[in-house]
Amino acid sequence: MSNNLILDVRDIKVHFGGVKAVDGATMSVERGSVTSVIGPNGAGKTTLFNLISGAIASDSGTVAFNGEEIQNLHPHQIAHRGMIRTFQGAKVIKRLSVVENVMLGGQKNPGERLSGFFNPRARSRYESESRERAMSLLKQVGIDRFAEDYAGILSGGQRKLLDLARSLMAQPTMLLLDEPFAGVNPTLVEKLLEVLNSLRQAHQLSFLLVEHDLETVMNISDRVVVMAEGKVIADGLPNSIYDNELVIDAYLGTRKKKS
Amino acid sequence: MIAFIQPGFWVFVLAMAGIYGIFSLGLQVQYGVGGILNFGHVGTMALSSYTMAILVISYGVNFWIASLCGVAVAALGGAFLGLTTLRLSGDYFSIVSIAFSEIVRYVIFNSDGFTGGSQGSLNIPAKVEGDYPTYTNTWEPFIGWVKDRLAVIFGDNADRDMAMALIVWITLGILLIIVGRIERMPWARVLRATREDDDVPAALGKNVFQFRLQAVILGSVIGGIAGIYWALQFSLLSPDDFLTIVTFYGWMILILSGAPKVKGLPIAAIFFGFLYGGTRFFTFWPFSILDSSQRAYIRIMIIGLVLIFLMLKRPQGLFGKREEMVLE
Ligand SMILES: Nc1ncnc2c1ncn2[C@@H]1O[C@H](COP(=O)(O)OP(=O)(O)OP(=O)(O)O)[C@@H](O)[C@H]1O
Ligand SMILES: [Mg+2]
Repeated sequence: MSNNLILDVRDIKVHFGGVKAVDGATMSVERGSVTSVIGPNGAGKTTLFNLISGAIASDSGTVAFNGEEIQNLHPHQIAHRGMIRTFQGAKVIKRLSVVENVMLGGQKNPGERLSGFFNPRARSRYESESRERAMSLLKQVGIDRFAEDYAGILSGGQRKLLDLARSLMAQPTMLLLDEPFAGVNPTLVEKLLEVLNSLRQAHQLSFLLVEHDLETVMNISDRVVVMAEGKVIADGLPNSIYDNELVIDAYLGTRKKKS
Repeated sequence: MIAFIQPGFWVFVLAMAGIYGIFSLGLQVQYGVGGILNFGHVGTMALSSYTMAILVISYGVNFWIASLCGVAVAALGGAFLGLTTLRLSGDYFSIVSIAFSEIVRYVIFNSDGFTGGSQGSLNIPAKVEGDYPTYTNTWEPFIGWVKDRLAVIFGDNADRDMAMALIVWITLGILLIIVGRIERMPWARVLRATREDDDVPAALGKNVFQFRLQAVILGSVIGGIAGIYWALQFSLLSPDDFLTIVTFYGWMILILSGAPKVKGLPIAAIFFGFLYGGTRFFTFWPFSILDSSQRAYIRIMIIGLVLIFLMLKRPQGLFGKREEMVLE
């Protein structure tokens, strides 16, 4: 069982001043599964992502990725191990073109080393392959027509799509997606879910995602983790979550009680 | 007024413009690509020129090897600056970088028995007692040889400054080609990304600190090369050559050229050189009312005004892209 866990987070904590943003969260993700984190605003979901991806240092607790403890690694070292995250605000590099943003996701690019200056052949071979792959990813998320424009001209939703394409460019084994579908139109969400699902089947890609839309969460998740006030208050199959009293109080609120 | 119309003077200015151009190219790598605001760049020139001078004068090292060592020490200086301060956020780095070049200058100023102190390179202890402390013994014959070749074309007009200008501009040309290529590499793409944001490149597996450090070292190597030419152009060195204002002259050229691309830099360098050299001759009325030290300030004010005017008319620099400036 446990070696089938790609991600294993144990009792992780961090505080900002007096705010215990994440206060002893324990959760895990099985290889090839989709696990969703839900919870009210300020529950600590994004902070949990930041802890797992190394963007902020934890006060205590451990994070194991593929059996290796990574809580003391830098973000780029964690990315090298195959875990790639997106950002809630969908960060794009505004002064790079859209396709260059995606190409930034490429791993082990010989042209990203200064020594690559002396190997123009390897450099340009990688570069043209990389551009091709970036273009096909842009096509998959439906923004290929903006490929040569500055990413700064993209709308909020398009930026999310770019962020997603850029993450896929890195060929991760695990994706951390922070509200990837917020502000993306429903038909496109359908399409993206298909893309992600096929990736999951083809490459055993594992997902951890934060999502507020419960219908989507219930549809796509193998497991759901519920957070409130920095703690994991429930963790289980989607259906069991829907009926959990604690969850109803903390998050689903009146909506569920009425029905 | 006489020098104003002498072509020889302008050839000297051209050589200086080239040296400033090389110097500024070092900043371009750091800022134009990586967004790193280095205000201590002149420290790299001080390190390379003094290292070269001391090795030649005090230790009798071959001039060419000493020059390479000078550039290497400039690179080490850049590495030291980067390693100690690049982890600070951008604004703090800029402030600390000023301290870097000032510390280098103070150390040079106060190490009499080693660097010549306030007296400059003339006071560097010579290897053989009684020898005249100069580091140009190898360079002067070389530049004389270049001058003789130039005389074939330019006749009597060929002089030392013309040879110097030629060599400096060939160097700048080669460096522009190399740096231009580097800036089209994916390496530069990552650095451009770090200019806007640290988190995205880091989340994609890029070691942001390492990229910045490389940019600072590369810029310092280029600044170090400028330092060697600086030393050769004046034939002697003094700590006062390396005041922070020199860094800002480099910045002026960079701002004029429009930072993101290297191609405007040589023209901006010439523009700056002639502005700087030209304002030297504001000795006519109304400037003649002032004494010469007051005129020196007026000159800097006029350069400033011209720059302000240009920035208002062309905020993206002479060759920059305006679209890049308006993206939110
Ligand atoms: N860098 C920080 N400094 C101070 N407080 C922070 C910081 N980051 C997060 N917090 C606080 O930690 C708590 C959890 O924030 P977090 O962003 O993780 O919530 P979230 O669950 O992602 O919410 P949302 O659904 O609105 O995105 C909040 O109270 C927030 O104000
Ligand atoms: Mg959040």
